Amino acid sequence: MTRLTRILLIGTPVILLPLIYIHDVIRVMVELDISVVNFLRELFIFAAYISLGFFIDNRRRHLKQGLPKEIGRLLIAVVLLELFLAGCSRFLPENFNGAGLKHAAFGTLVLTIAVIASSVIATVELFIVRDLLFFKKNKTAKRNYRLYLAMLSAACVITLPMFSLGDTWASKILFALAVIMIIAISFRQSWIVYLSKREKIYTIIYSGFLFLALIGMEVFFSQSATVGEFLSQYSEPLHTFIKLNNTLGIVYFGITGITTLFHLPTTDVFERKQSELHSLHNLSRLATQVFDFQELVNTVAQMTTEVCDARSVWLELLTTDEITGVMSIDVAVRKNITQTEIDALTNENEHVRSLLLDTHKTLLIDDIWSDRRTKHLKAKGVLRSSLMMAPLVSHQKLIGVLYATKEVENAFDQDDIDVMTTFADNVSIAIENSRLIARSLERERLHQEMMVAQRMQKRLLPQSLPVLPQVQLAASSESSFEVGGDYYDIFPLADNNYGIIIGDVSGKGVSAAFYMAEVKGIFLSLSQLCSTPRELLLRANRSLLESLEKNAFISVIYSVLDVSNATLTLARAGHCPAVFLSEEHSELIRSTGLGLGLATDEIFSNATEERCLPLKPNDVCLLYTDGIVEARNSEGEEFGYERLLQAAQQCKHLPAEEIKEAVLSSVRTFLGVNPYNDDVTLVVVKWLGT
Amino acid sequence: MSDFKVHQRDGEDVSVIELKGYLDAHTAPDLENAFQKLLTEKKYNIVVNCRDLSYISSAGLGVFMAYVEDVRNNKGDIKLSNMSPKVYNVFDLLGFPILYEIYKDEKEAVVKFHGAQTK
Repeated sequence: MTRLTRILLIGTPVILLPLIYIHDVIRVMVELDISVVNFLRELFIFAAYISLGFFIDNRRRHLKQGLPKEIGRLLIAVVLLELFLAGCSRFLPENFNGAGLKHAAFGTLVLTIAVIASSVIATVELFIVRDLLFFKKNKTAKRNYRLYLAMLSAACVITLPMFSLGDTWASKILFALAVIMIIAISFRQSWIVYLSKREKIYTIIYSGFLFLALIGMEVFFSQSATVGEFLSQYSEPLHTFIKLNNTLGIVYFGITGITTLFHLPTTDVFERKQSELHSLHNLSRLATQVFDFQELVNTVAQMTTEVCDARSVWLELLTTDEITGVMSIDVAVRKNITQTEIDALTNENEHVRSLLLDTHKTLLIDDIWSDRRTKHLKAKGVLRSSLMMAPLVSHQKLIGVLYATKEVENAFDQDDIDVMTTFADNVSIAIENSRLIARSLERERLHQEMMVAQRMQKRLLPQSLPVLPQVQLAASSESSFEVGGDYYDIFPLADNNYGIIIGDVSGKGVSAAFYMAEVKGIFLSLSQLCSTPRELLLRANRSLLESLEKNAFISVIYSVLDVSNATLTLARAGHCPAVFLSEEHSELIRSTGLGLGLATDEIFSNATEERCLPLKPNDVCLLYTDGIVEARNSEGEEFGYERLLQAAQQCKHLPAEEIKEAVLSSVRTFLGVNPYNDDVTLVVVKWLGT
Repeated sequence: MSDFKVHQRDGEDVSVIELKGYLDAHTAPDLENAFQKLLTEKKYNIVVNCRDLSYISSAGLGVFMAYVEDVRNNKGDIKLSNMSPKVYNVFDLLGFPILYEIYKDEKEAVVKFHGAQTK
């Protein structure tokens, strides 16, 4: 409703009512009976009160809550009005004929105010009844209310003086019809059911008194000459309006009082049902709290108390460790009960939980002291109480138990069991979801960590290779997991020598990555101390033997490229043999050797030999890890040494970088759609000549 | 892929483990369990028959390394037999023939244990 409409609605009576008042005062003084004026007066009254009605309705809509309170307010207004009316009839004369202007003006003013107040109250009564009728709206209520409004309007209009039907059968019949509608609508009292016990008591008191007060008012109107007479002279339709609405109030609130009284004994049951329903509706709240486990279990405790009106509640969660398989039991939340009390109840050896293991059904123990399953707890000082246990089941597995107790025996009934079961089902889902979310967050965190590890590991590999006129170098390494165990490095040594190393740590993933970092450290420091590859491998084996786990080992080839003398000296420690390609032939350099970390000094030393290869221009040496030869296609076939030799043979005339690409691409072509199942590393050394 | 089976056969004083399929990082725990079981049963004379072993990865080789020390400390041994050339190549590359006795046939390996006992 706009501001303008509101101003118009209140403006109309504010202007018209004083006009009517002035007219009325004049009429007391001077005999006036001009039909046009009379007609206008009725019209003004109609307009003024209709606007006032709409205005009140508009203002009232904002305070619709607390039905009993509104009835109470109406009661107060009615009582005040009655006091006012009583004052009027006590102190004002029956009429003002010949009383003088001053008295007439005052008397008429007071009575006009009384009329306005009565009609306002009558209007409010109508609206309150309407609101009550429309509580949980249904079609019949709406229709009956409209019918009543129609009867009410008709009964009022017919009493207009110009129809001269004021006291005929017609008006009486319309009045009677309106009363019938009143009775019809007064039996719709469904709102009472939803009141709390306290509200019901208030409703009984308020509506009882209101009933009496309204009867009193009616009696007053018909008995008191001053007020009654003035009202019917003021406006007969308004009189009828007030009379009918008061009747409505009397009948409706009379029935309200009686109905509420009858509803009182069943309130507790209804309230409980209501709160069960409310709690079950609230189950959806659980779903939104899966991000905060503690908050979730707190809500569960709170809601369990609500659904079955329990004294104490606790939630026990059974968690099976994924790795060790050990089951741990924790009390996730408890309410109104101490841990000691819980411990006494859930005694280890004959734990009440075991009663749930077979059936996975909600269990009720009516009396802990006398139930044969829990009798033994009496001796432990457990207080007498009823105990309800609802299993939380997920994937046919017991993941927890929800307990509720009441301090008297036989306190839970079938309804409680049903509600608790439904509730427990939802709790299981919420807890399971919460765990899943926590797990996936944890996984995400680990993934992030692994990505960091990957970046770190990439930095352990050479960021750039030495550029030399006599030799071309190319290398690449790719992990099949985030981090891997492959390692290569090319670094300058003294006397224009270069160390070239390739290695593969047994196993995969994080452990392999750690060893790889260790290997890098060992090799970098040893490479400056040892003069030959064999010596370096010996010393590396010695230090790794201590630090590696029993089942871990490292295969490497360490080679020293002597640029001045054009030789490549290499020693193999269990690694895939290097591919050596010269103009005339190709060869796998399979010198004997043991993986690092497999055997003690003596055995290792005896097993490891060194090979020195003189280099001619365009000789190519390929160092690689088993990821290449063991790359398997979808038929389960391995790439193998033959294919590797062939592939290398075909591209040996190319520059080192292109040889590397060509060999890797032939492996990829061989794999087809299959992914690499291992880390793949390839180092190409191409000798150009001095 | 991870089709791997371990079968244990107990002879008089030698236990034979038959391996079948792919032995890699995923299936290595199966073999670990088998060795663990033999150790708890105090059976230290072990022959691993690799006739049906089609692939072994470094993690698979690691399993032998993890247990051989305990077995040898108890005057037993892990001997290997019936390897396909491809599997033998993997053992060989790493230098396993230096560390383990590898026989063409399971019987040979078993007989070696008897020899050691009668001595």
